[in-house]
Amino acid sequence: MENNLPAYLRQSEGGQQEGRHAKRGQLSFLNKSIVNAAVTMKSIYLQAENSGRQNFFQRIHPGVKLLSLIYFEIVISFVHRPIAQMLITSFIFLLFLAAGLSLFLVYRRILFLVFIFGFLIIWPASLNMITPGKIIFNLICFSKPSQFWIYHIPQCIGFTAEGLQVVWLLFLRVLNSVSFAMLVVFTTSFPAFVKSFKIIGLPDTFLMIITLGYKYIFILSRTIEEAFFALKSRLIGNIRNNTIRKLMGGLIFNIFKKSMTNYENTWYAMVSRGYQGKIILHSPKQVDSTDLFAFIVIVAFGIGILFM
Amino acid sequence: MKILSNFAFSECDATTDIISEIMHIPDGYLSPQTYIPLFGAFAAATAVAVRKVKKEVSVRNIPYLGMAAAFSFIIMMFNLPVPGGTTGHAVGSAVIAILFGPWAAMIAVSVALIIQALVFGDGGITAIGANCFNMAVFMPFVAWYIFKLAGNNPVKTKRIFLVAFISGYLSLVLTAILTAFEFGIQPIIASAADGKALYCPYDLSIAIPAMAIEHLLLFGIAEGMITALIIRYVLVNEPGLIHAFRKEGQYENK
Repeated sequence: MENNLPAYLRQSEGGQQEGRHAKRGQLSFLNKSIVNAAVTMKSIYLQAENSGRQNFFQRIHPGVKLLSLIYFEIVISFVHRPIAQMLITSFIFLLFLAAGLSLFLVYRRILFLVFIFGFLIIWPASLNMITPGKIIFNLICFSKPSQFWIYHIPQCIGFTAEGLQVVWLLFLRVLNSVSFAMLVVFTTSFPAFVKSFKIIGLPDTFLMIITLGYKYIFILSRTIEEAFFALKSRLIGNIRNNTIRKLMGGLIFNIFKKSMTNYENTWYAMVSRGYQGKIILHSPKQVDSTDLFAFIVIVAFGIGILFM
Repeated sequence: MKILSNFAFSECDATTDIISEIMHIPDGYLSPQTYIPLFGAFAAATAVAVRKVKKEVSVRNIPYLGMAAAFSFIIMMFNLPVPGGTTGHAVGSAVIAILFGPWAAMIAVSVALIIQALVFGDGGITAIGANCFNMAVFMPFVAWYIFKLAGNNPVKTKRIFLVAFISGYLSLVLTAILTAFEFGIQPIIASAADGKALYCPYDLSIAIPAMAIEHLLLFGIAEGMITALIIRYVLVNEPGLIHAFRKEGQYENK
């Protein structure tokens, strides 16, 4: 059968050709980049969706939530007793219930972050090599203690009671910090939250940059996802790492150019609406008695925890 | 959007990037004696940066810096194969500093870090000052000065490629060592009366080698490669966009 396809469609792709001769390479970097872009968009979608609900915590003024967040994170960093940290964990859990969020969805994300930062990185501190103390569970015993570079390796390596206490405290602290931050993040619209930064003295100019950056990120994430899908659909088999790097260089340059175009368009849109270099952000709403009540409860709880 | 349902996959996949993510210090690792001064230092540096950038970038600075912030955030999404069979992503501060200048990079990267902390949980709230100081103040300036020291002739593309690589590589390694130093002093400055760690439990002898080695051998290479690739591409296609050369008056286009 005669092939009537135009010549440019019959030309083989560079990437495919190279795949047959490539020595080594892999495409997992593409999947990772696509997932990164997708996760970014999903996070933004989720936040917008959750913050739009009309439950108790969502209705609190963003400025009050910002002050509560800063205050509570500082309180958490000052509390050194595990029992007090556990009380904070329970309090935050109650706030999550009041916010009406999907606990599975939220805690899955929280526990993932806590697993990494509150356990995976920290657990070696429970060993006697890091935290000296009485070994309660032996892992390994050598014939004699030894010295490796600047490190002393004791004869027996195991978990100490003191080490486990250190890990437990840090685990709870990371859990509480991440949980409270997520509670505020998931229940507050980001643009409204950014406007509330005025309370802590950030200039309007800086807040406008954050707001614009946030919007650009969403737009560019979509562009990246589409670009990577297009790239992935055109690559087969193993590709040389050198080719991958060239492709990535081109792709990032393309994104950079798109960013510049976005910036130019935004600038012209701002000028056409009368922008003359002065930024004034308006607060989303006034603080009411419910906001004050919520803030007092959080402050009182924090003081109680600090002095218990 | 089907890809969005693969969130769990992305979370598991992200464990491969755990070590690089420790550059974003989470809450609970730094004592108030560390995060408060670092926040102060960052705030002071940002105030200077806002003034400098307003002067340099004129009235267009708002959308320009918003775009730069988004671009610095976006760069972190790009994974690249690095020697050893794994992939890595860049922090992006070096390439942003070379493309936009160190002061604009300071604002752009700090905005990106603030968005990361508040929307994606990458980096702690109390540690925002420390993270911004490390990656938005220290790193761009190190990268900028290394690049300016050796990469002042845009005609020599290969040399620029090498200098951009070194500037990305060294700036990340030095930033990792600074971060490790902040971790490592915690057992010294903030321990309980009985000597137990209250914050990061690893002292300098553990934190610095651990952070330095992995960044010297792995993540520094990813940072260097991404910096060099982008700079080479921009240099070949639109050299006027590189701020580091604009200062020399060779590619003035604004």
